[in-house]
Amino acid sequence: MITLYDYELSGNCYKIRLLLSMLEIEYSKHTVEFYPAADHKSEWFKAINPLGTLPVLVDRSHEPQNAGQRRPLQQKTEKPHNEQTADLNPIDGLTLKDSAAILVYLATRYDKTASWYPSSDPAKIAQITEWLAFADGITASASQARLAEGFFYNVDADACRARAHQLFRILDEHLWFAEHRKQRWLVAGDLPTIADLACFPYIILSEEGSISRQDYPAIRRWTDRVKRIPGFIVMPGVFPIGPELSS
Amino acid sequence: MDTKPDSSSDNNHYWHPIASSTDLTPRHVFHGQLLGRELAVWRADDGNVNVWENRCLHRGVRLSIGVNDGRELVCQYHGWRYANRTAGCTYIPAHPADSPARTICNNRYPVTEQYGLIWSAESALPATHNSASVPDIDPGFLNGSITAPVADGDLNTATIRALNTEREIDAGRLLVLRPIPVNATIDIVSTVLQSYGYIHPLSNTPVHCAVEARDTYRHTTQVTPLTANDCIASNANPPAELIQLHFIIQPVDSARSVIRGFMSGSSTIEHPTTWLQLHNAALSQLRIVAEQQMQAIIPPAAWEVSITPVSESLAKMPGISNAAATTQRVVVRAITDTAKDIKSVEMAAITGDLATWQPGSHIDVLLANGLTRQYSLTNGPGQTDHYNIGVKLEAESSGGSSFIHHSLKPGDVLTVSPPRNNFSLRRDAVKTLLIAGGIGITPLLSMAKALFHSDLPFELHYFVADNSHVAFKSCLDEFGKAANIVTGLDPTETNSRLQQLLAHYENAHHVYLCGPGPMLDSAKAIAEAHSWPDESVHFEYFKNATEVSQDKPFSVALARTGITLQVPAGETLLSVLRNNAVALPSSCEQGACGTCIVDVIDGTPLHQDVYLSNAEKKRGNCMMTCVSRALSDSLTLDI
Repeated sequence: MITLYDYELSGNCYKIRLLLSMLEIEYSKHTVEFYPAADHKSEWFKAINPLGTLPVLVDRSHEPQNAGQRRPLQQKTEKPHNEQTADLNPIDGLTLKDSAAILVYLATRYDKTASWYPSSDPAKIAQITEWLAFADGITASASQARLAEGFFYNVDADACRARAHQLFRILDEHLWFAEHRKQRWLVAGDLPTIADLACFPYIILSEEGSISRQDYPAIRRWTDRVKRIPGFIVMPGVFPIGPELSS
Repeated sequence: MDTKPDSSSDNNHYWHPIASSTDLTPRHVFHGQLLGRELAVWRADDGNVNVWENRCLHRGVRLSIGVNDGRELVCQYHGWRYANRTAGCTYIPAHPADSPARTICNNRYPVTEQYGLIWSAESALPATHNSASVPDIDPGFLNGSITAPVADGDLNTATIRALNTEREIDAGRLLVLRPIPVNATIDIVSTVLQSYGYIHPLSNTPVHCAVEARDTYRHTTQVTPLTANDCIASNANPPAELIQLHFIIQPVDSARSVIRGFMSGSSTIEHPTTWLQLHNAALSQLRIVAEQQMQAIIPPAAWEVSITPVSESLAKMPGISNAAATTQRVVVRAITDTAKDIKSVEMAAITGDLATWQPGSHIDVLLANGLTRQYSLTNGPGQTDHYNIGVKLEAESSGGSSFIHHSLKPGDVLTVSPPRNNFSLRRDAVKTLLIAGGIGITPLLSMAKALFHSDLPFELHYFVADNSHVAFKSCLDEFGKAANIVTGLDPTETNSRLQQLLAHYENAHHVYLCGPGPMLDSAKAIAEAHSWPDESVHFEYFKNATEVSQDKPFSVALARTGITLQVPAGETLLSVLRNNAVALPSSCEQGACGTCIVDVIDGTPLHQDVYLSNAEKKRGNCMMTCVSRALSDSLTLDI
């Protein structure tokens, strides 16, 4: 059983929800109130993820490497912390604390087509890794601007916006020339990869940080394509799209 | 440039590029901007490019985040739908039972597609825009840049204009560059562009272009082809064929521009990807210079944009008195036999665009022989460049259908009314049942097409005498299992089939009926017997077979006009009103179409129409002025 420690308005959590939906994986959500309660910085959550960041994914269907490291049983009978309930004790499964790591894990373990993360193709997984790092750059810029505007974070929003525009210019150029080569996704190939999902959320939410995508027509078309991936789901601030023109 | 260019009225037809043709992929909405004004730009499935004000008329939300469903643009906020080409609103989900007023029509801007670019201009189109009057791109731009240096005379101005853009691009004779948005004024961009140069990819040497600025926006130069030969023989004889390079600066806003460009040559442009990459790199460098120069000046204030209100003729309340006044002239484009004794007639606008319609709409056709007839439109969503009707030759035709069948021919001009809709299609039904008898298929066909395109659940049951009477067969085939043709039933068998179809009413199911009077009468009775609520049963009669009595005189008080009139025996209420300068819109004038409806404040009407449902008749708060009269001695009407 998979549990996602999730916050509805988090783009990083949305990346995981997207892949879980597209791979049709059943999971349960455990909501962590990021704002205003800041539960991701609470003691009970830090016990799960000392970094105090979302998302966290726990996969209990994963067999631990060393059963001897399991906590003794009586641990479970302790009074649960705050919102944490005993049966959700994450220790029994694999706990992953970073959206990119979770994407890699889910795609490698559960994607039978091995298209989302083609681990046998060194060039492709290296390119995917580049884009996962690029996505972190978007998180550090576009997402920060959104946190400043929507969640009252004390950051230099103008600097974040300027950095996001730099990244968007690079991405738009990449996608424009990809289209020129009849490519649809960030990493060349017939099918989308986790690179697309890692970059999508904070791009599509950029206007919530006052970052217009008007100057990036190739990015806008790519977001349409991501929205048409089977299993695509929305989140607040992300709008649905109509069907593709069937040929 | 602090003052907005093109502000003089003489100059507001200056064409500016706003997008590349390839930007408008199917089912996409491009977010554009010209001279400060935001634009929603989208290509419908039929290829038509729409350039609209980027705001929904309802709450002002950007339409560029809406859904292009190939036929209509749907606002993301409350689902208002706007038709391809006309920009008229076709459906408002919050008012599912009503047809949107014709006044709900978005501002459109001129559009033309040439050289792989989409061009637009500042002035909004008037409501009756004549697309044929769109001015051509400044010919001077072509004369100086394309025709002159071409040695073999292969391309001249005339042919370049006539060239199909797609074919041109495919043939490699025209290469559209990647557009480069620059956060700088057009003046800065223009200045910087004149020192344009790039690194030759083969010889790896800088190439400086002698860019000629034709005006602030248009710049041209010529470059040598990229061939291995050219590399070896550099500085030798200049190659015979030169490639023209054109830059056009799009004034997005006072401090924002887009450099657009294309290359053209007399023969195929080789190494297109190399060219695209080198110009992209060179223009990106140029952007850095331009944006640095912007740092040194005080950025100008954003250009003010006025949102043009809808035209007065549209904005005016559809006045009671002038309702019949507006007509449009159409030319018959095609007449085809679609079934035994049924012709399909397609009509196109002579100038401008046709008024917007919705599924269920009908038009009055003023025939050359002086008769006026009502016909339902059979168009599918987004098919806004023509009206299509189905006309059955009636045996006892008094000249309407007989004229269309025997005298009307392609190229003939007709006058038609704007579409009216008294048979609106809801799109919020859990399931929609469409039941047609004979030529009653026409409005239901339009409904079926809309439901089918939006993937909404429906069944169409089409009752005909035999297969030779099945009209619009190819359209029906598209619906697959949703369309069911029922042939050869006698009235008793028809009734029992209707019994089956209407046996179970479920919440939010709706049935739409159109066909011969007796079939509709029994279908309505069956639906009532099976507890279909009145508001779920929608119907449209072809004609009113009721024997209309005009025996009893009565008086009528007009509450708003403040007069009382006498309606003598033998004269209709409608004609008495008109004779006293209280003109009402009307269409069929026999109590079938619902156009001349008025609200009744006091008194009991004698209903003699087939438009109102029994429940509506019982309520007695509205009536058809063309046939209905008064049971009481007098009536008070809300007009």
